[in-house]
Amino acid sequence: MRKYAVTGPIILFALWFTVSLSGIVSSFFLPDPISTMRILTGLIAGGIIIPDTFATLGRVAIAFLVSLIIGLPAGLVLGSSSKIYESLEFVIDFFRSIPATAMFPLFLLLFGINDNSKIAVAAFASVLIVIFNTAYGVRHSKKSRAFAAKLMGASRIQIFRMVYFWESLPQTFVGIRTAVSLSLVIIIVTEMFIGTTTGLGRLIIDFQYTYNIPAMYAIILLTGAIGYLINLIFILAERKFVHWTGKF
Amino acid sequence: MQPAITVSRLEKKFGKHDIFSDISFDAKEGDVVAIFGPNGCGKSTILNILSGIVKSDGGQFNIHGSDFSRFSYIFQNYRESLLPWRTNYENLTFPLELRGWKKQERMKRIGEIVKIFGISINMKLYPYEMSGGQQQMLAFARALVNNPRILFMDEPFSALDYETNIILRQKLQNYCIRFRPTTIIITHDIEEAVHLANKVIILSKKPAKIIDTILNPATYPRSIDFLKTDVFHKIKDKVLTAFQEGADL
Repeated sequence: MRKYAVTGPIILFALWFTVSLSGIVSSFFLPDPISTMRILTGLIAGGIIIPDTFATLGRVAIAFLVSLIIGLPAGLVLGSSSKIYESLEFVIDFFRSIPATAMFPLFLLLFGINDNSKIAVAAFASVLIVIFNTAYGVRHSKKSRAFAAKLMGASRIQIFRMVYFWESLPQTFVGIRTAVSLSLVIIIVTEMFIGTTTGLGRLIIDFQYTYNIPAMYAIILLTGAIGYLINLIFILAERKFVHWTGKF
Repeated sequence: MQPAITVSRLEKKFGKHDIFSDISFDAKEGDVVAIFGPNGCGKSTILNILSGIVKSDGGQFNIHGSDFSRFSYIFQNYRESLLPWRTNYENLTFPLELRGWKKQERMKRIGEIVKIFGISINMKLYPYEMSGGQQQMLAFARALVNNPRILFMDEPFSALDYETNIILRQKLQNYCIRFRPTTIIITHDIEEAVHLANKVIILSKKPAKIIDTILNPATYPRSIDFLKTDVFHKIKDKVLTAFQEGADL
């Protein structure tokens, strides 16, 4: 682990502790970190939040997988053809500019008040991120390797599969990491506001409604930790699969 | 003997300005032709036109009886032609995979090329884990793995230290003696040109034309001692004189 990696979290917790003890903010609205952590470990140990955690992670996983299945091939095709890219650039940028939350009502109409609408909203936002980054990776990849492959007799499909795909991978991973984080954010938000009985977003809003503020903070901390861990897993995967980045 | 490569009145413009014009030469099968000239005179562009990457603005060329399966090109920037996501071994097999060679056949061929070329690099490493000289050696070996009949090289030794440069020149000569590919080398180094080529084409500065074509009849292999001989120095002086004329020195 890097030497100074823990400095930031220590400062944050120290600041939180100082503010909550100083009385500047009422302890009702900002409980101290120790009692918040105690509540969080109690919630985890009691197993109460396990089904909600799995419900949220399940929705995130499906939304993320859908965005990969659609986004990766679409991004590769888009990036490898200037004509297709130019034709669709406006459409993608337009939809990318619409906040995903603005699409809630439409997706509710299309999919109903159930998991499908939540997953669809998250997948919609994530797929555009994956498409854009993959296409960008292909379009801005060094052409010299594709030229070299062409001169070695590679067909268009071989260049696509054996060169462009790999060349675009560093940028594709940027898109993948952003997409999975965005999926988590959107799923949490939709769990808060679109009718559901499970999920961490639902717990946050329930604890807020019932003025169980320490528990609300505990779940917020948990979602942050989950987001961080997911990002970490993808950073490790990136190091393994895109091992040449920054070295060549 | 019929030429393997014929180039006739080749021409390339950049906007309204000529980069080069009236470039004509030929190379017989097994010839090693060096194209030598100042920076910006379009040396690399000539190779790029002959290999189909760039279109000419006039003239003709013909590469007789050649197809892409027996053609190789070593780029000036070898790093940008190696595939960093593949191990050294996988980089070597890449041209063979493209042509659908089976795994066993590929292994056998790589074994042969390693032996012929005397490569001593760890095949399990990735290119970025090696020195520049070893990367260049890998790019060389990969270019020869399909036993090319036509071999283009664009300043292949420019990034190398003198020792590695000399070693690679020797290996290239050994390969050429055995397999006789028709070779065109772009270079800005007179010593390299005269050491390797049996025909040196000297270009003037832009707009480039051929100033002179100087033949080097010395037989292969030309050892490092050849660089100390009168024959070498006489030919080198001729090339330098022609170069002076074209570069207004």
